[in-house]
Amino acid sequence: MHKENQAERFSGASKYVLDDELAEIVNISMALEMPLLLKGEPGTGKTMLAHAIAEAFNMRLIVLNVKSSMKLVDALYQYDTLTRLNDSRFGDSKRDVSNIEEYIRMGKIGQAFVSEERVVLLIDEIDKADTDFQDDMLDVLDQMEFDIIEIDKTIRAKHRPVIIITSNAKKDLSDPFLGRCNFHHIAFPEPDMMRQIVQVHFPEIEKELLESSGRTFYRLREIKGIEKKPATRELINWIRALRSDPDFRVKGLIKGEVPYLGVLFKKSPDYFVAQNAVSRFRV
Amino acid sequence: MFVDFFYLLRKAGIPVSPTSFLRLQQALSMGLINSIDDFYTGARSILVKSEKYFDLYDQVFAHQFQGAELKEPNEFELSEMVRALLEEWLKDPKVLADAFGVDEKDLAKLSPEELIQYFLDRLKEQTEAHHGGSKWIGTGGTSPVGHSGYHPGGMRVGGISRNKSAVKVALDRRYRDYSQEGPMTPTQIGEALKRLRNMAPFGPKDKINIDKTIYETMKNAGEIEIIFDRSLKDRLKVILAIDNGGWSMDPYIELVQTLFNYARAQFKDLKTFYFHNTIYDYLWEDPPRRSKPYPIDELVRLDPETRFIIVGDASMAPYELMATDGSIHIEERSGKPSYERLKFIVNTFPHSVWINPVMAEGWSYTSSIQHIREIFPMFELTLDGLERAVTHMMRKN
Repeated sequence: MHKENQAERFSGASKYVLDDELAEIVNISMALEMPLLLKGEPGTGKTMLAHAIAEAFNMRLIVLNVKSSMKLVDALYQYDTLTRLNDSRFGDSKRDVSNIEEYIRMGKIGQAFVSEERVVLLIDEIDKADTDFQDDMLDVLDQMEFDIIEIDKTIRAKHRPVIIITSNAKKDLSDPFLGRCNFHHIAFPEPDMMRQIVQVHFPEIEKELLESSGRTFYRLREIKGIEKKPATRELINWIRALRSDPDFRVKGLIKGEVPYLGVLFKKSPDYFVAQNAVSRFRV
Repeated sequence: MFVDFFYLLRKAGIPVSPTSFLRLQQALSMGLINSIDDFYTGARSILVKSEKYFDLYDQVFAHQFQGAELKEPNEFELSEMVRALLEEWLKDPKVLADAFGVDEKDLAKLSPEELIQYFLDRLKEQTEAHHGGSKWIGTGGTSPVGHSGYHPGGMRVGGISRNKSAVKVALDRRYRDYSQEGPMTPTQIGEALKRLRNMAPFGPKDKINIDKTIYETMKNAGEIEIIFDRSLKDRLKVILAIDNGGWSMDPYIELVQTLFNYARAQFKDLKTFYFHNTIYDYLWEDPPRRSKPYPIDELVRLDPETRFIIVGDASMAPYELMATDGSIHIEERSGKPSYERLKFIVNTFPHSVWINPVMAEGWSYTSSIQHIREIFPMFELTLDGLERAVTHMMRKN
């Protein structure tokens, strides 16, 4: 049914640098129709991967941003009682008030199931929700169907979506959950890889800036006592800031000046620690 | 296919489920895996579900497919011991040097790698000579000398200050950061803590109360009357203060780790502090109790409704609790005895408890436990005790 997808292999997208290992894992997961669970430091491109897959296969991307207060049913569907009440009172809509189905709205998982084409379903930051939510959701994703109690109807997935799940948590998810996923841990990119990533975002970047910003960046990551180390996202924003500043000179960077520290360190204690450390770079 | 590999993985301690093994077979039969490299990544992603096991997987894989020698369990243990030795060394080189019968200065001259090699050699000698040679290592540091808070500049051993040297790794492990690792099972602890909740209406009135709306609409003769409510949120603030120092707490580390893991997952507003034995002028926000002190006096700024949970064995010398300047850490010289500090905390936070990993039967044998019990309601760190602690903290007054 999805032969055309299987024949095509995932090999990266215009703004995403993919390492071979991850490509292999994505392809296996897609073929086995298993959800892929991605862990790794914030800012290593977990979420971006889903975007990249969607782009590469020209599929629609549906993002479910998990919130701590979220209940599973919110992700599946919503029964819009208020509109129904309103319609029953004023009766000026085209909807049939006695038909509850017209007041059911699909949540993100529901949308992915009823979609006419295969979609990429990104479940972002699953660790925010409690364990019950996680397990129940995996049941739904395993069965590929759920019931709408209000109208006693079962929604079955037309096409099994490509499911990417991300987690920032250090602690592991529950065993039944893990049992149903493929797993990959995205390590922080090595300097070489990072150079490629930067080049993808800034194709015409000067070699000098690329080298020295990268070196400074990895040096900053080594500062001790930092709670949230700057990651890829921060580096890219930082380079963007440097490039847009007409007064910026690469030579300063080599000498040990680090402008726009706030782009890299976003927590105030981290910022001060970094500032302190940077002032020692110059010596 | 690869059944051996499967069992070897399990033997090495990676929890590989049969289902996932079948899934690997499926992947193989679908022709997705065509080379040994494919197999490496594919099998890892399907079989291994945590990056914790990646290193072990690599070892098993290399053994199975490249004939690399798998480390004997002995060697694993040995490297664990070397780590323990390093911890000792970093705490107080003198004690360890004495234990080896060499001069501390000679050891200090070694580079980190040499130091580890030296330990390894000595350990091998030791295990051959006595078996169970681990005993003397463990007790080598219990001497009170170690308690002076004297750290010989840890990283300066051999003058290396860059990341990733072996000493650095050992240094990272020097203090047990309960948040990093820990058993993940006892769900019951989570269940017990779950009851510690304070749901209160909070935020803008943005949630429609359907029942009330229908009722009011009917009352209004069918004219729609929408009733909004604030949504319920868990507003409970929790402070967890953990005793992470000293040998007396060591046997309970696993228990405390479990507790910590669940507390972190459970409470939205959780502050964690660390202390050693008892509390003087400061609590520490970082597990090594070094860089982020938090003055006790500052606690009054916090919401008095905060639940203050202390986890510690409350076992110490009586003077540590009662004397002014009772701290065993030289640099902590306060004017007030810890005893008064603890009272201050109880007065600031009426909902506070002391959770003790020492079982209640043993409490009467330690006088400091007795004293602390006069200040704090104390519960043992068991499911039962936790539940009672939770009930205590949820009481209205």
